[in-house]
Amino acid sequence: MSLLTTSGLTKRFGGLVAVNSVDLRIEENETLGVIGPNGSGKTTLFNLLSGFFPPTAGRIFFQGRDVTHLSPEERVKMGMVRTFQLVSVFNSLKVWENLAPCVAWKSGMYHSLWRFMTTPAASTWADSLEALKLVGLEGQAEAIAGELSYGDRRLLEIALALSLRPKLLLLDEPFSGLSDVEIAKVLALLKSLKGKITIGIIEHKISMIVDFVDRLCVMNEGRIICEGNPSEVLTNPLVNECYWGKQETLERAGVSGV
Amino acid sequence: MGNVVKERGLVLEKTFVAVGKQLTQAGVGQKVLELILIGVVFLILVPFLGAHRATDFAIFCIIVLSFDLLYGYMGRLSFGHLLYVGVGAYTVGLALRYLTTNPLLAIVLGIVAACLAGMAVGAITVRIAGAAFALANLAFNRVGWFLVMSPLKDITGGENGLSIRNLSFWYVNFRNPTFRFWFVLASLLLVFLLLRVFTSSSYGVLLRSIKEDEKRVRFLGYNTQFYKWVTFVLAATVAGFGGALTALNYGYVNPNTLDVHANAGIVFACLLGGSGRLYGALLGGIIYMLITNLLPVYFQRWEFFLGVALLLIVFRFRGGIWGGLEALYSGLAARAKSGSSKEGMSR
Repeated sequence: MSLLTTSGLTKRFGGLVAVNSVDLRIEENETLGVIGPNGSGKTTLFNLLSGFFPPTAGRIFFQGRDVTHLSPEERVKMGMVRTFQLVSVFNSLKVWENLAPCVAWKSGMYHSLWRFMTTPAASTWADSLEALKLVGLEGQAEAIAGELSYGDRRLLEIALALSLRPKLLLLDEPFSGLSDVEIAKVLALLKSLKGKITIGIIEHKISMIVDFVDRLCVMNEGRIICEGNPSEVLTNPLVNECYWGKQETLERAGVSGV
Repeated sequence: MGNVVKERGLVLEKTFVAVGKQLTQAGVGQKVLELILIGVVFLILVPFLGAHRATDFAIFCIIVLSFDLLYGYMGRLSFGHLLYVGVGAYTVGLALRYLTTNPLLAIVLGIVAACLAGMAVGAITVRIAGAAFALANLAFNRVGWFLVMSPLKDITGGENGLSIRNLSFWYVNFRNPTFRFWFVLASLLLVFLLLRVFTSSSYGVLLRSIKEDEKRVRFLGYNTQFYKWVTFVLAATVAGFGGALTALNYGYVNPNTLDVHANAGIVFACLLGGSGRLYGALLGGIIYMLITNLLPVYFQRWEFFLGVALLLIVFRFRGGIWGGLEALYSGLAARAKSGSSKEGMSR
């Protein structure tokens, strides 16, 4: 059984159809890449999956359960966790404090309000540090998150997501705005997770994730125009068309000099 | 001569850093130390202000502390916080008139009533974001004022207020200013300790997270509406406690306890001391009360100074007085650290 499936998922913003009857399927422990040019509806698709806003039409099933109308927090509790295109961590908090509520949640402290409200945040220190070690930020645990470099904040955001023990991790352009060194760091981290959890990853540049993902979905104008293993997808003429324009098609039609 | 002054300055600086170091650490012994420190500050105030006024200061601090939880920690500004102070005060007044002769029971009833009012109003208002939240609470505060002044006039006494007859019961004697002072001081310390525990817990961190980015917190699996409601109720409950104490301190309840305009004073005190810091709320409460109690003696248009102070805070000292002290401390501590490491190197 697939971990996540959608049927006819559609999102309209006024006259614009951002996501147009998408039938997506993510298998357990697979790594799925979603690629496509700017404005093709990738982020909107992830926003629908994570409950950022409700779909205009269509359904989302997670582990066989209809989650279409569940709130973001309920989806997180089921194991659907996401990161954001622009790094989104709590800049005014210390690095380890960013993790404190997540770690408290994981350790079940969340179930008793009184315990949650009276147990010092410092008691989550060890677990927070553990989560930070996973992304190599343990040395900066006491720093203010807003003072970290953009790449480190990205790592912190991934640490936040991982500390929630996701079954499905949705990453929205995790490499955007990072330097080459930082990209290598994040990629190494993601490779270490591959196969252990299910990962959905949006990327704008195909080359970045082509050797990393198991399967690729290509979106254009709100639709999935092709999917399959990376080598198949990259040779698909439709993909070239949406990325590079209709050059090939035009050439084939006998128009030269384009 | 110059050396002596310099040395004195150094000693002051060192004491300041040492005290700051103590306050930034956590632990049971340290919490006791903090409580003693706060108690001492209020005891110092007594000879200058008299027990009655010092009690008033302490009650105001309780109210500012409760507001700080909502505004300073969770980042939700409300212009209707005095509603709960009023509910607490009127419940005490009415309970002592019609239900019981025991002021302690009346206080408990006042707290419960404010808690229930907070639950009801909070369930509606915490769903609202931004400025509308502040105004929706203001509207409820107005409703409370209206109820007291008009439909419930016969039992609340309307504009004339309500005098409380049963102020002493058993060993509990609220007629005695010294008793009132100690009782309120103990209450303040209790509230402070409670809020200290809450704000330094994971829940406290969650509140600060909600302040920064509520939507993001939802994507961490937290039902933020629920936690906002809990915090709102908690703030209302503590404010109700403050209101109950106000009623007993004056032996009298009047509609001013839930005057919507007085909400600005709480916001001001919170900003002045430094919002999002319990010590800031305490300091702000005391200084605001000093300003409003003492300045009118010397200046007719004393509000002018409040305005200037507010402008200074907004433009220059966003962390308020306590925030400024914190910045000073971290600067001095860093200097002390680099100084000692230099010494270590030269050895």
